[in-house]
Amino acid sequence: MKAEPTTLLQGTLDLLILRSLVAGEKHGLGISRRIQQITSGTFVVKPGSLFPALHRMEEEGWISSLWGDSENNRRAKYYRLTKAGTKQLEAETARWGRISWAIAQALEAS
Amino acid sequence: MPLVVKTRSFLRNLFSMRRKEADLDQEVRSHLELLTEENIRGGMRPEDARREAQMEVGGVEQVKEQVREIQIGNWIRTLISDCRYGLRTLWKSPGFAAVAILTLALGIGANTAIFSVVYAVLLKPLPYANPNQLFNVFQAKPQDGDPVDGWSYKNFEELLEQDQVFGGLAGNQHHQLTMTGHGEPTVVNTSVVTPQLFSVFDEKPLKGRTFFPQDGQQGAQPVVVLSENLWRGYFGADPSIIGSSINLDMRPFTVIGVMPAAFRFPLLTASEQVWIPLVQDPLFGPWMNRRLGHWLTVTGRLKPGVSRKQAQAELDAISVRLAKEFPEANQGWTIGMTPLQQDITGNAKAPLLVLLGAVGLVLLIACANIANLLLTRATSRSKEIAVRATFGAGRARIIRQLLAETAVLGLLGGVAGIALAYWGVQGLSSLLPASLPRVNAIRVDGLVLGFALLLSAIASCAFGLAPALFAANSDLQASLREGGGRSGESRNRRRVRSFLAAGEIVLAMVLLVAAGLLLRSFSKLTSVRPGFDAQHIVKADISLPQFQYSKPQQWIAFADEFLARLQAQAGMQDSAVAVPRPIADACATLQFDIVGAPALSAGASRTADFESVSPNYFHVMEIPLLSGRLFDPRDVMSAPAVTVISKELARRYFPNQDPLGKQLFFGFAYDKGVAREIVGVVGDVRDEGLGQNPGPMMYVPFDQLPLWGANLVVKSSMSVGGVATAIREQVQAIDKDLPVTDVAKMPDIIDTSVAQPRFRTFLLGLFAAMALVLAATGIFGVISYSVSRRTNEIGVRVALGASRGTILRMILRETLALAFVGLAVGLPCALVASHLVGHLLFDVSANDPATLAGVALTLGVVAALAGYLPARRAMRVDPIVALRYE
Repeated sequence: MKAEPTTLLQGTLDLLILRSLVAGEKHGLGISRRIQQITSGTFVVKPGSLFPALHRMEEEGWISSLWGDSENNRRAKYYRLTKAGTKQLEAETARWGRISWAIAQALEAS
Repeated sequence: MPLVVKTRSFLRNLFSMRRKEADLDQEVRSHLELLTEENIRGGMRPEDARREAQMEVGGVEQVKEQVREIQIGNWIRTLISDCRYGLRTLWKSPGFAAVAILTLALGIGANTAIFSVVYAVLLKPLPYANPNQLFNVFQAKPQDGDPVDGWSYKNFEELLEQDQVFGGLAGNQHHQLTMTGHGEPTVVNTSVVTPQLFSVFDEKPLKGRTFFPQDGQQGAQPVVVLSENLWRGYFGADPSIIGSSINLDMRPFTVIGVMPAAFRFPLLTASEQVWIPLVQDPLFGPWMNRRLGHWLTVTGRLKPGVSRKQAQAELDAISVRLAKEFPEANQGWTIGMTPLQQDITGNAKAPLLVLLGAVGLVLLIACANIANLLLTRATSRSKEIAVRATFGAGRARIIRQLLAETAVLGLLGGVAGIALAYWGVQGLSSLLPASLPRVNAIRVDGLVLGFALLLSAIASCAFGLAPALFAANSDLQASLREGGGRSGESRNRRRVRSFLAAGEIVLAMVLLVAAGLLLRSFSKLTSVRPGFDAQHIVKADISLPQFQYSKPQQWIAFADEFLARLQAQAGMQDSAVAVPRPIADACATLQFDIVGAPALSAGASRTADFESVSPNYFHVMEIPLLSGRLFDPRDVMSAPAVTVISKELARRYFPNQDPLGKQLFFGFAYDKGVAREIVGVVGDVRDEGLGQNPGPMMYVPFDQLPLWGANLVVKSSMSVGGVATAIREQVQAIDKDLPVTDVAKMPDIIDTSVAQPRFRTFLLGLFAAMALVLAATGIFGVISYSVSRRTNEIGVRVALGASRGTILRMILRETLALAFVGLAVGLPCALVASHLVGHLLFDVSANDPATLAGVALTLGVVAALAGYLPARRAMRVDPIVALRYE
């Protein structure tokens, strides 16, 4: 039963990345910092899990990437939500809502 | 939609790998820079900021690897890197690579080339709509050994009327007519058909129309359908051809249609031809109102959903009814059907399958050879593999890598083999006998390529798997301790190697015996005397238009005048007319009766091959007179009817009697009721072909009983061209519209008649030679490897006083033991194989002891030679050098 938590976690990470891109395109570090910010520091995404997730999501067609200049004029790769990504975000959000509601129920019952 | 996106990503990963890699590298590095900057902004010193950033990232390469692992199509990358590694290792041992690739290329090339022939001739569906519904429907007489025969038109009409199972049935016959009116007179292949033919084949014309039922009625206007190639080649693709008139045998026919070039019927004749309704044919048309005779070939298309069994039952019922209603024509005859494809390719099947089997064996030997080479390499690489295993490479991973290497080998060999096959098919097509059906369809096409690739994949598995398994199974500690291995090789592996080498000898023996038998058979076939002297004989055909020359008297008049003119020319004295000529023409086998002989039992008959010849025929062909006299110019219509018989006819039908003076009745329409006196007996002639024993023959004077046409034989020391010119001049002096065709040297005709046996003998010989060379290299490889493994053992022996002779004997004994095992197992296998080719042999027994002994001796000598070279090296081993390496 190792797969369950992984998929859950993976789903979580996807959701967070998608969520962080709603406000506009960001580079990897930007996404990482934004997630940190919106989860009040609960999640710190390390490059070792961030980049594989970004590339996988790009291959899925949820996000697209382009090279641009950072605020300090450094070349950086920016990611932005695609239409499919927006849809995916809605689906993930709904799913997450159901899961968290179910877990909350489970914890309250006893 | 997601599938499209994923496919696109997959392709991008695959094809812009380098760009993606650079991109990834830059992305991770820029992340590092951004982090560093952030840290500096947070107040760190630059070097601390960088270190902190690096710690957070955790290693640029690791992150990249983690990204790579999730990318779509990652397994392909592994495969590619395995293959790349394989290529590199091959590149590092070019000798091994060259030998292995060449061996494989030979095997795959030969197989592909032969497969392309087998596919085109045997497997490719016939080029008609739903070809598996097409059948040849025939009459046969089981009590005469089931000779398959055609129909009379009257019987065919009966079949048409009664049949319920065929959607269509069409009769056809084929011969040649003279076409005039458009430039040079020419002879055109003519299919004489009933009007249903095109609808049975379900073919539409390119222009105009095909036959209507009324075109087949008595008294209909003569119409003709041209083939596209004739229309283009002879009429310059004249668009107004439909409705115009052409002359066939001096009679005008209206062109009603042109069939597309893709439609070929019959399949075997040239693509320039015409189709005419049977009723218009000068030759067979008049036979339409007869019930006797079997001359019409019938092709039918089964109705959809009717099984062959149902159809046969229906045909059986019809044959019973026919026998009851028309007993004189149908008593004893049955009706059968064979698929048209089988009918067309029947004779070619067995020899081609033998060739395919033979070439398959060559590939097996090639694979055994490469497996042996790979085993040798795996042994010397055992340390490398052990190191990989110690560093955690799993068994599956090692096997996968080794298999990838052999796959690279297989692919390279396959590609080289396909190149060889292209070249080979071109070579083959000049070698192929013209009588082989559907030769023109032979090519290396997609399917053949697929076959070659599949074959190389199977071959790679065959020669790659065993070595890979062995390598992956090897004992780690032992391999590492041996330090790349010098003295010891596992017993198992050595056994496998010897097994492979002995197996190669077995296979080579099978091939050599088969090839040896065919070779002996072929040399006997070509040295057999045909019964006449073919040297300096030239043959030529003069077709007489059948409307103009419709009476036998006209044929005689033409032949007499023509021969008189021709014989007056210098160098052309020895010319004669003969119809049909031995080997060059199809035999005419006729029934006859002997005057005064007891009647034969029902169903039995006396038959002989019939030939109508001018008086000096026997002199020209040098057929010896054994008793009595030959024909002379006085044997004309008004003189007493005479015949000359062959020795075999005398032996068979006049045992212990003098045939001279006896009289024969011929079962031949023009000669009904004429008793012919036997005036002479001549030597036997193999008129059917060199491979057939001479049958009984009877000759009649052309001037008494001519056959249509003037088929010429000339004995002349002039060139073929000179003879042809002389003939043309004399023919055209008589009638300028007569074409002279098929001028050829008789030895060439005989040569062509053995084209099929020559073809298979040559190819099987070639394959056997390849097998011999491959097996020899196999033995050489095994023995020389064994010698190099045993260098220090040999050194010790020499140091202890073993003489060079002893060493030589030791190595040779090893070789000969291998050869002996191979021969012992090979002999029974070869005998099985030789019985498979038994029916292709002429005058040689399938267990011909001379061939078997010769092959065994050859293999033994070759094996000894292959072992002698390494043995000589062993003899020269210097004990000091050998022992120092220990």
